[in-house]
Amino acid sequence: MNAEQHFLEQLDQSLGPFPNKQEIISEYEIHLYEIFNEIEIQDETEAYETIEKRLGTPKEIAKMWMQEVRITPKKTQWIFVTFNLCLFVGGGLLTVGYNLFDWNWIDFTWRQLTAIPSIIIMLYLVFWGLLGYEIGKEFGHRGRKLLRNTFLICIAPNVLLANVTVFQLIPSQWFQPLLSVPFILVCIGFTALLYPISWMGYQWGKKASV
Amino acid sequence: MFNRELVKGSTSLLVLQLLTERDMYGYELVKEMDNRSDHNFQIKEGTLYPALHKLEKQEYIECYWEKQTKGPARKYYRITTEGQSILDEKTSEWYRYVQVMNSLIRRNES
Repeated sequence: MNAEQHFLEQLDQSLGPFPNKQEIISEYEIHLYEIFNEIEIQDETEAYETIEKRLGTPKEIAKMWMQEVRITPKKTQWIFVTFNLCLFVGGGLLTVGYNLFDWNWIDFTWRQLTAIPSIIIMLYLVFWGLLGYEIGKEFGHRGRKLLRNTFLICIAPNVLLANVTVFQLIPSQWFQPLLSVPFILVCIGFTALLYPISWMGYQWGKKASV
Repeated sequence: MFNRELVKGSTSLLVLQLLTERDMYGYELVKEMDNRSDHNFQIKEGTLYPALHKLEKQEYIECYWEKQTKGPARKYYRITTEGQSILDEKTSEWYRYVQVMNSLIRRNES
């Protein structure tokens, strides 16, 4: 086996079960062809050393590829969707717990959180900005579709909660003292801001994508 | 030779810049970077392909295969409109950065 074949085989092994592996290996094969078309090395050990010196070791290259495919659009989408869902489920459980049970710690948590609604709203806006930023940074121009889809999935619990609250499918007194008209208007206003904030985050992230 | 992290951080920008001149294949990009920098800008050639893959994933470049009369087919890369636009943005940011750094360093020297 010559140095080129040996290197490509090592790379193949280091990559393991990798998407589009054959195409990746063919690119390195062409690269090696170009190198040895320019320089002539008879000794196979010396040739292998030259390859590693110029390209890096198969393990180093495989590591770079692993990093490159670690973040996929689907994974990114589900991280944000799951996080958003956890916020809603957590908030829902807290509300139900506060209203149905007489537990001190739940009373304490509820009172602390309802005392700082504006801080919670701000943190939630940061979450949406971060969503856009991460998508823009990782996926660049291609991220715009992903942002739109992730936004639509993430916004579903917000819309659902708004509807069950407005149509009083859950007791409105559960959300006291929050459920005042000004607070509802603020929530509607900030919900309308979520997409522009994500979009700004996306544009900012896109700048950092190169 | 420059700091490895600095080189790594500038590779994508240089790739986009080179591709504004003509479509190129991987090995050609490495050679161009090496020649134009008087051998000062040397990247581990194996790391170029993940960087190209990322740019392609971001839709800043696109690729196509071209058969050769001698040797295997080559995978050529070309810049997209979005790639050109991000390059313009990053280039002007780079110039501003260099300008500010130069003036700060000169101020410290005097």
